[in-house]
Amino acid sequence: MPTQNPSREQILERIRSGLRAPAPALDDRPFEAEIFEPVTDPLERFRQECKANLMECHLVADSNAAAQTLAQVLQSLPPGEIYVQDDPALRRLIVASGARRPVRWSTQAAPAESSQATITLADALIAQTGSIFVSASCGGRGASVVAPVHIAMARQSQLVPDLETALHNATADQRLEKNSYACIISGSSRTADIEKILVQGAHGPMRLVVIVETD
Amino acid sequence: MPRKVSLFVPCFVDQLQPQVAVDTVKVLRRLGCEVDFPEDQTCCGQPAFNSGFWDEARPCAERFLRVFRDAENIVCPSGSCTTMVRVFYPELLSHLDRSGEKKSGAQHDEAVALGRRTFELSEFLVKQLGVTDVGAVFPHTVTYHASCHGLRELKLREEPIKLLRAVKGLTFVDMLRSDECCGFGGTFATKFEAISAAMGEQKANSVAVTGAEYVTAIDPSCLMHVQGIMGKKNARAKTIHLAGILASES
Amino acid sequence: MSTFATRPTPAGATPSAETAAQKFLRDAAEKSADLVHREIIRKNMESYDAAHQRGRARFKDWEAARRRCQQIKREAINHLDRYLLQFEERVIARGGHVFWAATGDEACAYIRDLAVGRGVKTVVKSKSMVTEEMHLASALEEQGIRVWETDLGEFIVQLRNEAPYHIVTPAMHLNRQQIRDLFREKLGEDIADADPQKLVALARRKLREAFFAAEMGISGANFIVADAGAVAISTNEGNGRLSTSLPRIHVAVTGIEKVIPRLVDLATLWPTLATSGTGQPITTYSTLVGGPRKPGEADGPEEFHVVLLDNGRSNLLGNVEEREVLHCIRCGACLNICPVYRNIGGHTYNTTYPGPIGSVLTPHLRGSEFQHLSYASSLCGACTSVCPVNINLHHHLLHNRRDFTAAGGIKSSERGQFRLWKKAMLNPRLYALGGWMMRRSLRVVYGLGLAGSIFDPMRAWNRKRTPMPMPKSSFRKLWRKGLNKE
Repeated sequence: MPTQNPSREQILERIRSGLRAPAPALDDRPFEAEIFEPVTDPLERFRQECKANLMECHLVADSNAAAQTLAQVLQSLPPGEIYVQDDPALRRLIVASGARRPVRWSTQAAPAESSQATITLADALIAQTGSIFVSASCGGRGASVVAPVHIAMARQSQLVPDLETALHNATADQRLEKNSYACIISGSSRTADIEKILVQGAHGPMRLVVIVETD
Repeated sequence: MPRKVSLFVPCFVDQLQPQVAVDTVKVLRRLGCEVDFPEDQTCCGQPAFNSGFWDEARPCAERFLRVFRDAENIVCPSGSCTTMVRVFYPELLSHLDRSGEKKSGAQHDEAVALGRRTFELSEFLVKQLGVTDVGAVFPHTVTYHASCHGLRELKLREEPIKLLRAVKGLTFVDMLRSDECCGFGGTFATKFEAISAAMGEQKANSVAVTGAEYVTAIDPSCLMHVQGIMGKKNARAKTIHLAGILASES
Repeated sequence: MSTFATRPTPAGATPSAETAAQKFLRDAAEKSADLVHREIIRKNMESYDAAHQRGRARFKDWEAARRRCQQIKREAINHLDRYLLQFEERVIARGGHVFWAATGDEACAYIRDLAVGRGVKTVVKSKSMVTEEMHLASALEEQGIRVWETDLGEFIVQLRNEAPYHIVTPAMHLNRQQIRDLFREKLGEDIADADPQKLVALARRKLREAFFAAEMGISGANFIVADAGAVAISTNEGNGRLSTSLPRIHVAVTGIEKVIPRLVDLATLWPTLATSGTGQPITTYSTLVGGPRKPGEADGPEEFHVVLLDNGRSNLLGNVEEREVLHCIRCGACLNICPVYRNIGGHTYNTTYPGPIGSVLTPHLRGSEFQHLSYASSLCGACTSVCPVNINLHHHLLHNRRDFTAAGGIKSSERGQFRLWKKAMLNPRLYALGGWMMRRSLRVVYGLGLAGSIFDPMRAWNRKRTPMPMPKSSFRKLWRKGLNKE
């Protein structure tokens, strides 16, 4: 939709003329101080932060254990369809888990309101904040937010120590050129808008489960 | 060599709460200082400055520089007045040219230098004289209100408390939210009296919860306001300036 | 140099016989005396204070975080044109649209025309103070478009037809029973025990219908990232995610000052924002949107529009002393710590942005009608001490006061008073005489029991406080009488 936008030039001109006066000098030396404590044991830190975030974090030894854990999680859910990111690894995993549920694959359609859970991969795990880094390639935007339960399958090799590393990597591999969206998720959906009391499960998932295959 | 101290007495202390200055003199002399009072002083200009009347405040600042030009150490029993001189005089006496760049002139530099020799009382005792025990006796329970200017502009957090804890017989009681503003704020107290009073009430409640007989601070204006509010509530506690406690000998 | 806005009050504001300043004084007096309100706010803020303290402790060096955030915003604002253009280029390259709006009305017109042109009947909105500033919801509702505020707090105040109380926690002033009653009245369902869990579940059910039906989702932006060409949205509820994933059009509205240079800058900004806003290490969803859905993606909007709003911000850039006010990341920490805010609450300000940042910013964005906010402060400096980007907020209040006075905004009577005051302060004899006269006259007035009455020159003080005992002599008199010789 081509739109006339005459204000664009006006605004830019006002900005440029406003900036002609330089701001008073501030210390522009390169920043030395360490803002965050360095993460020494990423896996342990990830586990602790997940707990604090009210996420369910399962560390498993291999893909069989991953399939078993997934099966257990699915058993805890009411019957119904699950939405799964269409990826060869996840196709194998669903078979291995023996899940007897209708599956809607991400290549077929967007997640439905009625999905009991969504299962996706992740782009990365972040130890500092107990987060999973997902993008549109992880089954789309709705996959990590529409259903009441989101299950993310990941590997320990995807774990990075901190936000800085995660974002640096995302810049380097042009994550936002290849994906229209990305999200760093650090817990299940929650709100404290009523009397500042924390309630889990606002509009997004009530449960966020992360199953990590360790090295 | 006894320290030479020139007393900077806030205008409202001079006119309405002279005991605070009398006590300040007593404490300084007890510690061996030579105290003088430049009688030409009037007001540091803060009321006009805070109300936005910088043109009216500026001559007061220039005057202050003249009156205290030869003073070695300037000591003031008020955090807010000390802040006016040390923190705001340089800004008041610099000037902005058309581009917004601050131009420092000779007056600005003089103000900076003067600010370096101007001290709030507790600051002077602890950081300049290096004492915490000033030989005071005050057998009462006392709680401390951390006046805003002293705390946030002069960065005085520990000094008054160190002095209080060294007073013989004094029982120190911590106050919750001791660093919450009492609500005085100069002309704010009358221009926005309802808000000022509500803030004062919250402070008075915090004092009452401690059960202390006295609440003290380094700013007489805070105490003036809190005393007035507590009086309306028939509170048990009384206010006393830090100098009053430090001057006390029984 | 004054940059106070000179435009008239925005369309929709009813002119009344009372000035904004008078209304403020009236509302402030009422709220300050409201003990129920005081208690609600006290409890909320106590919980926030504790969370904030815990949050700060998670940093190795909190002060370093503040300095770093200040540095990032300083770089962004001082090269604002460069970074905005970089952001725009990236978004357009991916098929998004960028519209630059000089005023709130222009922004509303763009979004309204887009919605009407695309046959939008329902809009879901996630929280955006900028859209409040523009009164966007009413502009769309005038076209018969149903607008749903999906952030729970915003949803609640929308049902009550009132403005948000706080920029981060919009319904802070309400308790669960009030919310239960509201839901019963407006949503037709009664949660008898007012359990917050059930109230949230009800809101979730109702809003889900809207999420799946809406043709357009409108979001704000906490940051707009120049090198990635992405809009960054921090939420906890997931409503921001749903609003920007399900509808076929996504419009992100943002002030031009929200730009930051690099994606990696978020590594410091996100945790600092979350800590200052709620005490969390990071918000649950830190979302980045760079464009409409790409071919091959499972879902996502077909259209992505970013509306960059100026509305007075570029004006503030030219005011070098005040430029850093544009660094604000809208965390709400200054509101939370402010003792004035804690006593009068958010609505009393009657502005989009309340609290210290609102008091500093509003006269520049909306005009001297709101200048009284610069004076409604004791200048305690608590705001400055918590600002995560180190804005010297209380000093800016002083500057606003100075500039307002210089522009002739002050009542002539007060100007006259300070002229007299100056004369006395420059003359020690006059000063001493004035002081003596005040003490004498007050002793007489108090002696006659007239404190607080119309005869009392200190009545503004004495209405709320017991009168100060008046000493007989000033200090300088005592000094001369013998103190000087000891």
